[in-house]
Amino acid sequence: MADQTPVLRIQNIKKSYGDNKVLKGVSLELNRGGIKVVIGPSGGGKSTLLHCINFLVGLDEGRIYLNGKEIIHNRKRELTAYRQKVGMIFQDFNLFDHLNALHNVLIGPVRVKKLPKSEARERAVAELERVGLRDHMTKYPAELSGGQKQRVSIARALAMDPEVMLLDEPTSALDPELIGEVHEVIRDLASGGMTMLLVTHEVGFASSLADEIFFMEDGKIVEQGPPQKILFNAECDRTREFCAKIGRLHNNSS
Amino acid sequence: MDELLFLRQEVAPELLAGVWMSIKLIVPSAIFGFFIGIVSGVFRVYGHPVLKRLAGLYVLFFRGFPLLVQLYLWYFGLPRIGIYLSPFAAAVIGFSLCSGAYHSEYIRGALLSVKKGQLLAAYSLGFSKIRAVFSILLPQAMRRALPGNGNEFIYLIKYSSLAYMVTCIELTGKGSILANFYFKYLEIFAIVGAIYLVMVSIATWGLNYLEDRIAIPGFGRPKYN
Ligand SMILES: Nc1ncnc2c1ncn2[C@@H]1O[C@H](COP(=O)(O)OP(=O)(O)O)[C@@H](O)[C@H]1O
Ligand SMILES: [Mg+2]
Repeated sequence: MADQTPVLRIQNIKKSYGDNKVLKGVSLELNRGGIKVVIGPSGGGKSTLLHCINFLVGLDEGRIYLNGKEIIHNRKRELTAYRQKVGMIFQDFNLFDHLNALHNVLIGPVRVKKLPKSEARERAVAELERVGLRDHMTKYPAELSGGQKQRVSIARALAMDPEVMLLDEPTSALDPELIGEVHEVIRDLASGGMTMLLVTHEVGFASSLADEIFFMEDGKIVEQGPPQKILFNAECDRTREFCAKIGRLHNNSS
Repeated sequence: MDELLFLRQEVAPELLAGVWMSIKLIVPSAIFGFFIGIVSGVFRVYGHPVLKRLAGLYVLFFRGFPLLVQLYLWYFGLPRIGIYLSPFAAAVIGFSLCSGAYHSEYIRGALLSVKKGQLLAAYSLGFSKIRAVFSILLPQAMRRALPGNGNEFIYLIKYSSLAYMVTCIELTGKGSILANFYFKYLEIFAIVGAIYLVMVSIATWGLNYLEDRIAIPGFGRPKYN
């Protein structure tokens, strides 16, 4: 890659809830088109990390740079512009419950980007088409399956033209038979060159997609490296133990 | 036969004028009250700390003071500091503020019941707080609050009869005057009561219709066909 500046650079993020030090200084970089996967035990701070990157929770310490430019989160304009560039996918979808699929995707471009309604609508339809939901546009979240909901939420994020996507266990709330359709959409994004930071425990999926895996535990990135190394040949005992465990789970369930 | 004729010719026109006055009290009070309730409800959940506090105090006082006492304060009390309100204005102000305090409670409860993730999702798309509240949270909260708000509208129809106590002669006031004059308490108050019942029924029907209209699959009240 000729472009040397990381799209997103996270420097030494710290976050505590009371006495509970959830993030103890996390740094990472995402290069354009790069896909990094975060794995690690529950409670290790993965969700908090992604929330911090989007300033959905306030950081105690740390800096965040988008395309080399530091984000000053108390400047409201700067913050909302930044958030449009950083798409976020939640474990439990968080679709807007009172809007149908089309309007879930439409509302960002209309209300935030101020696109004319017809243009926004065209865009929204195109994004829903891309995730294979053109025929379900008029359905409300309660009428969609989990897999469809997550695909709508991906379309919703894409409609804002993000440069980076943060995905927090996008398939962990899904029934096993619905995971594939969401993975397919994410794979599609990857081949389109989207930069992504993905938290997942789907080992097979992660190793086929990621160019680097981070093992995160107890608020720190304990070890990082290429998928084959982290998943099958880690240096750190804790990483090996954890990967053996999720590997077993994965094999049992498939 | 005589009785009917008497009721139609002597009582009905007077009562009708009373109904008209009641409607002129109820409709603006309902609208202002609802609006005040939405604004103060939003302040109480998402407002700046100062606004939050002020809105909280508003609700405390206007739910805490008996409505009749509030009306007396507006009408008989304010002249003490040089403000003279007409009976009608005093009644509308009193009803709106009292009603707003109750609406505020329903809106607040409903806003708090909206899942946290909705706000996070809006923020993550670049919504500002105000925009998220008005485009995402309120539309959801209002649907949940509507049954409570509806109750408050129904109460308003009935407590509008207190306007009579500050000399704004609406339906109940007219009824009392007529009943005293003709000495026909049973007949006239039965009719007055029935008219309130009709107004309440119309409001109930309208609210149910509205609830159906804005119902969304899987959200709040299920939509029956
Ligand atoms: N809003 C919060 N308030 C208090 N503690 C929190 C909050 N969110 C997360 N935590 C704590 O932070 C730790 C990390 O949580 P989380 O980031 O969800 O981990 P993971 O996503 O890796 O499972 C946990 O101990 C959790 O209890
Ligand atoms: Mg998590």
